Amino acid sequence: MSFSSAKYVLRETLSSVKRNLWLSIASVMTVMVSLIILGFSAFFLANTSNVAQSFESQVEISAFVHTNVPETQVQALETKIKAMPGVSSVVLVTKAQGLAQFGQSLGKAGGNLVSDLAGTNPLPDKFTIKATDPRRVQTLADQLRQFTELKSVRYGQGVVDRLLQFTRWLRWMGAGVIIAFGAAAVVLISINIKMNVFSRRREIQIMKLVGASNWFIRWPFLVEGLFLGLAGGILAAILVGTGYNWLAGYVSSTLAFLPVVRSTWLFWQVQTSLLVLGMVIGAAGSALSLRKFLNV
Amino acid sequence: MIQLTNVSKIYPNGAKALADVSLRIGKGEFVFLVGPSGAGKSTLIRLLYREEHPSRGLVSFNGQNLVRMKEREVPFLRRKIGVIFQDFKLLPRKTVRENVGFALEVLGLQRHEVAVRAEKALELVGLTKKLKAFPHQLSGGEQQRVCVARAIVNDPALLMADEPTGNLDPDTSWEIMDLLHNINKKGTTVVMATHAKDIVDQMKKRVVAIEQGRIARDDEKGGYGYEL
Ligand SMILES: Nc1ncnc2c1ncn2[C@@H]1O[C@H](COP(=O)(O)OP(=O)(O)O)[C@@H](O)[C@H]1O
Ligand SMILES: [Mg+2]
Repeated sequence: MSFSSAKYVLRETLSSVKRNLWLSIASVMTVMVSLIILGFSAFFLANTSNVAQSFESQVEISAFVHTNVPETQVQALETKIKAMPGVSSVVLVTKAQGLAQFGQSLGKAGGNLVSDLAGTNPLPDKFTIKATDPRRVQTLADQLRQFTELKSVRYGQGVVDRLLQFTRWLRWMGAGVIIAFGAAAVVLISINIKMNVFSRRREIQIMKLVGASNWFIRWPFLVEGLFLGLAGGILAAILVGTGYNWLAGYVSSTLAFLPVVRSTWLFWQVQTSLLVLGMVIGAAGSALSLRKFLNV
Repeated sequence: MIQLTNVSKIYPNGAKALADVSLRIGKGEFVFLVGPSGAGKSTLIRLLYREEHPSRGLVSFNGQNLVRMKEREVPFLRRKIGVIFQDFKLLPRKTVRENVGFALEVLGLQRHEVAVRAEKALELVGLTKKLKAFPHQLSGGEQQRVCVARAIVNDPALLMADEPTGNLDPDTSWEIMDLLHNINKKGTTVVMATHAKDIVDQMKKRVVAIEQGRIARDDEKGGYGYEL
């Protein structure tokens, strides 16, 4: 596109926006709202999955060995477990260590207890196993249950499952709300452009009679849609950006135990996505209204 | 250059505008379309730049079948045809120069060339003093001349004028006729619908008379032929 036609397109766009100022504002606002929700959802999901991961990474499997299993067999079992795929670390806590820890945890009274037991040790040997991927914890536990030497296998099943379920649910909910608002924004922009086309139908007809191609006439309207979408995207990016920075600062100063994601990479990724999506919504709106309007 | 074969046109509301018209106009000709108002002159012109489709029959321009022509080819047809519309059809939000330049802008010409050529065309119709005026600030005759300038600015192969002197005083009418005559001498085919008896009689050009949608008469170097 040459410079003069770029200027032509820009001039047409601006005068169109001025003519339908309120509808243009409404369109920009809907784009903005849908993208604000999207932006915050993205940050929220990044944080929940971060929290989930930090919980999950603390999740370990405890596998208790039958008390009648001899020590050599326990050591053989340890190497077997270490060789299993998906296992990141295996720590063997022997009966003796377990008893010592137990005693320590009871403090002074513990010393008495240990001496009272007088050389008998009711505790089993225990493996503490970490998985490379939290989502593999359950499969790993099921595999461990196959070993006859093991009496019981336990892990914090409930916590992980519930957290994963929650983030999955949140993802669907967020997607639903965003799609609904995005669709509303597309429709509003297309109404906006249709009204502009309608109010200018006589001019459009004249332009066509003088030899203007459909694309020559469409350009300004397309740019107008892109412009409205981009305006919504910019506003959303500003609000989401400052809002998140403020919120992240607030949370980490008051709820210090919650790990807050403050990655600049994520930040700019979300910001550029908002701008690009704004333009996509705008383009979709214009495309919707310009598909079949020039039959004059 | 232009060929109509057994063309009929009935508008959607049932108005019969043309009935079985066959007409051939060669390259470089100057042809008057005369006839009472409502005879179908404007309709015939509209068929040629594809604003309307014939209900029956064949319309062709430079060997191209306009009935079968695809929508996306229509702009290219219209760029070869200059039309002086009966109701001017000027763009209200554009200045005189922009209106004339628009016919070049659609060709993708550079801004500078557009301006230079638009001003040259406006010079030909004697409107150089109103380059920056908007159509609503002009008299009917001035709007007519802007329309003429826009029709000739891209050197069309065919120039069609629908009652181009209808709003003009006799002197200006003759200026416009001189202009059309000169353009015709440079090789452009001119088709002009008109009511102006004295002009038709004096120009001694081919006259096609249309009555109630039919060709009533087709004379080389004819006269208007109606008593007013
Ligand atoms: N757009 C239209 N819709 C319906 N009828 C029309 C239209 N244009 C012209 N007509 C009718 O077609 C006939 C021919 O009109 P027109 O071609 O404008 O005649 P002229 O230009 O010779 O005065 C008239 O009866 C007119 O009412
Ligand atoms: Mg007419």
